[in-house]
Amino acid sequence: MDNTESSSAGTPTSWCHPAHRVHRFFALLLMCFLCFGSYFCYDTPGALADNFKGDSHLNTSQFALLYSIYSWPNVVLCFIGGYLIDRYFGVRLGTVIYMSILFTGAILFALGVYINKFWLMILGRFVFGIGGESLQVAVNNYVVLWFKGKELNMVFGLQLSFSRFGSTVNFWVMEPIYHWVANYYGGYERLGVTLFIASMTCLGSLLCGLILGFMDYRAEKILERSEQHSNEPPFRMRDILNFKTVYWLLSIICVAYYVAIFPFIALGKLFFERKFDFNPQEANTVNSMVYFLSAALSPFFGILIDKTGRNVMWVILSIITTIGSHFLLAFTFVNPYVGVMSLGVSYSLLASGLWPLVAMIVPESQLGTAYGICQAVQNLGLATVIILAGVVVDKYGYLMLEMFFLGCLFIALIAAVLIYIVDSANSGVLNLSPQEREALKTATIQTDERANLLDHESSDPDEEARPSEDERDSVLTQSDRIRSRYISHILPNTNIPDRP
Amino acid sequence: MFPSLIRVISAMLFISVLFSPTNGLDRKISAHLNPGCQGCSSNTTTLVYIRGEGKSDVLHQIWDFTKHLPTVLLSVGSLNTSLNIQWIENKPIYFNWTEKPWYTFAATIDKLYEYDDIHDTGYINPQYPQMEYSLKRISWELQESILTNSEAMVHVTGKIHNRNNNDAVISIKLDLLPFKDYAVELPHLIHTANSTLIDVSLVNLTTSFNASRYALHFVLASTDNPTDTMHYIMRKSLDDEHTPGVFEIIEIKTPSLYDSKEGGYLQFRPVSYTSPKRNVASSTIAHVSQFNRTMMPRDSTLSLFFKESQQMILVQDMFVSFGESGDGYYKQHNYTAWAYTMGYGTPPEDGFSFFVILIISIGLGVPIVLALSGVAFVLFRRYRQTNTRTRFTNED
Repeated sequence: MDNTESSSAGTPTSWCHPAHRVHRFFALLLMCFLCFGSYFCYDTPGALADNFKGDSHLNTSQFALLYSIYSWPNVVLCFIGGYLIDRYFGVRLGTVIYMSILFTGAILFALGVYINKFWLMILGRFVFGIGGESLQVAVNNYVVLWFKGKELNMVFGLQLSFSRFGSTVNFWVMEPIYHWVANYYGGYERLGVTLFIASMTCLGSLLCGLILGFMDYRAEKILERSEQHSNEPPFRMRDILNFKTVYWLLSIICVAYYVAIFPFIALGKLFFERKFDFNPQEANTVNSMVYFLSAALSPFFGILIDKTGRNVMWVILSIITTIGSHFLLAFTFVNPYVGVMSLGVSYSLLASGLWPLVAMIVPESQLGTAYGICQAVQNLGLATVIILAGVVVDKYGYLMLEMFFLGCLFIALIAAVLIYIVDSANSGVLNLSPQEREALKTATIQTDERANLLDHESSDPDEEARPSEDERDSVLTQSDRIRSRYISHILPNTNIPDRP
Repeated sequence: MFPSLIRVISAMLFISVLFSPTNGLDRKISAHLNPGCQGCSSNTTTLVYIRGEGKSDVLHQIWDFTKHLPTVLLSVGSLNTSLNIQWIENKPIYFNWTEKPWYTFAATIDKLYEYDDIHDTGYINPQYPQMEYSLKRISWELQESILTNSEAMVHVTGKIHNRNNNDAVISIKLDLLPFKDYAVELPHLIHTANSTLIDVSLVNLTTSFNASRYALHFVLASTDNPTDTMHYIMRKSLDDEHTPGVFEIIEIKTPSLYDSKEGGYLQFRPVSYTSPKRNVASSTIAHVSQFNRTMMPRDSTLSLFFKESQQMILVQDMFVSFGESGDGYYKQHNYTAWAYTMGYGTPPEDGFSFFVILIISIGLGVPIVLALSGVAFVLFRRYRQTNTRTRFTNED
């Protein structure tokens, strides 16, 4: 360690210095790998779906429960996971704790499969779920700590893209790994061993967490940085009363749209094998396309939406194209790559258009609550719907499953059309182009809107105390963290709009 | 919006009732066990004759176990045709027709094959080590039967004699319901007045190889040109509503059906089950082999039935084997069940259910109506706003 560099002001020359570009790039690399393991292991059942049926003799309902159980702890944890880090653990310890929980969950799950005990598989996935979502919050805190300022959105997008890439890689490699293991083991044991190997990605992520923790500890000392702790939970129940109809309609889309995507991917492998006669590897590759495209396209769609505005139109368009994709998959034998790729494109477009809307209609001080609720209802929706989806497949087949997804998408479409109507009936801000938004903003808001928003409770302008620059800076950092904490989890990868 | 929606729904309900498969019996059936046999014990002798009278023809069905090989014969003739069976003790010796039937299609399971699936594919290959077990050695016992005007059903079981194992059983259930509907049990095949549901289970069979699987050997016969051939047709359907996860339907068509839409067929889904509790998890694949020309089994119901015209009959055999790669072979569950229908005429096809059509109609209808009314509302509002503004301007 070159401590002589540490105290010098200006641009550091040694790459060992935490402020040096190379050093920060290395930190970024570690941050990318932090979530790789959790995303990789989340979809291992999906990538080995037919083996779960063949080796462990799970029916689709039991298989779906493996996914559902992941979402249950997160209905609550999405509110307190981040708070626990802020208040008690700190980002370094928090990351290591969540990472360890995650790794334990993955190991328990693999063990459950290895000894063919369904309850242990479920327990493993539950523990995995406890760690998985909260870990993302911890990683977001790291990203904000290391890259706040101009690079934040870019780094954030990169980190999320890389996480999604974990899911994609999982779909690519699990089948060959399984076949390799099958040379040495048989029955459910080969599946168990395959999952033990998969859980090593979590161990890798845990090591990254430890190294990053050390780097962060060193950076804090060298840069004399003090971590800003929030003493209040970002969630306040009374905020709910202030939310407008449009917000609740957005929440409906957030549930109804996403339940037609994630459960489809979870149950997709066998669908592609059976309906389109794909072999397991091909089925996994086509299944991975949704994540792959969302990782690749989201940054571009982010820019597209930034340039064109009219978010509601984009949301409606992407729901319609998603309906079209599901129609293709359900009612034709057209090569499923066409349907799945258009699904992936629509999904990325929707995420880019939808999530900035929340930030537009909810004041920043309430963003924590707003995203928290979105995330909770989405987890609740996923947890219940995926169980239902499994039962539908077992009892009524894949066509009915597609019908079910189409039904959900129609609900999302109705909600989106209602948003358009409600918005048009009022001012129509949500569907403006950026130029129109800018014009509206300069015409109507002369005062410092941000101060107003941050001090939302004091509505009387006379009593309003203007925060000092320092205070405002700290509040801004805090709001950055709240926003990134919640936004990152739900969207696959999206450019977060710059604050107005 | 709502009255029009209700109209659409009620119209669809009407259409679905109109085309409902269960709107009545399509053939008047009368079923008899061992008709004309004086010395038959109802437990150990099973020959069922069913006369199914339609508007312009009669479909005669014979389900016979008396000569040990499970056999189903379908004969179609004019309304005047009737059949008398002559017996000596408990064996039929002559099928006496008042008028020769126009067309006959028959299928018999004559052998059970155990083979060593060394490449773990599920298919039977003549090069694999294998053992055949002739069903001639089995005496069938009638377990239950329903022979009424609305259903004909028999359930027979046969023990496979083996030194080490007394529990090995082949169980066969035949069921004729004279209307079009889906079978109650998976794989929910479609039965019609012209077809019979047949369910075969292989229970607790002993295995002699490490990778033992079982296959049924069929002999198919029809009054077609003996130089012609049966046709294997695999259709893909979009709808797996009735057999979750299975999109294929396999049909074995006789030449006359293949050429002119009237003839005999076997229809089934390529799926079998490894547990009496049938579900997606216990499903595995059923494979069909190529057809080969063969002879009718000696001293069988087939040879008796076609006694005078054996040279004029198309006779071919085929295997149906069960299992798929990685399923642990037969010994994993010691159970395999498979179902098929055997019928005459055009094989039934399934369409989208009322529920599917309803969801699509509502799903497409509601957002469109909503979008149109939304656009109308916004236009109306803008129109009013413009008018108000104009009025103010005028007042100024």
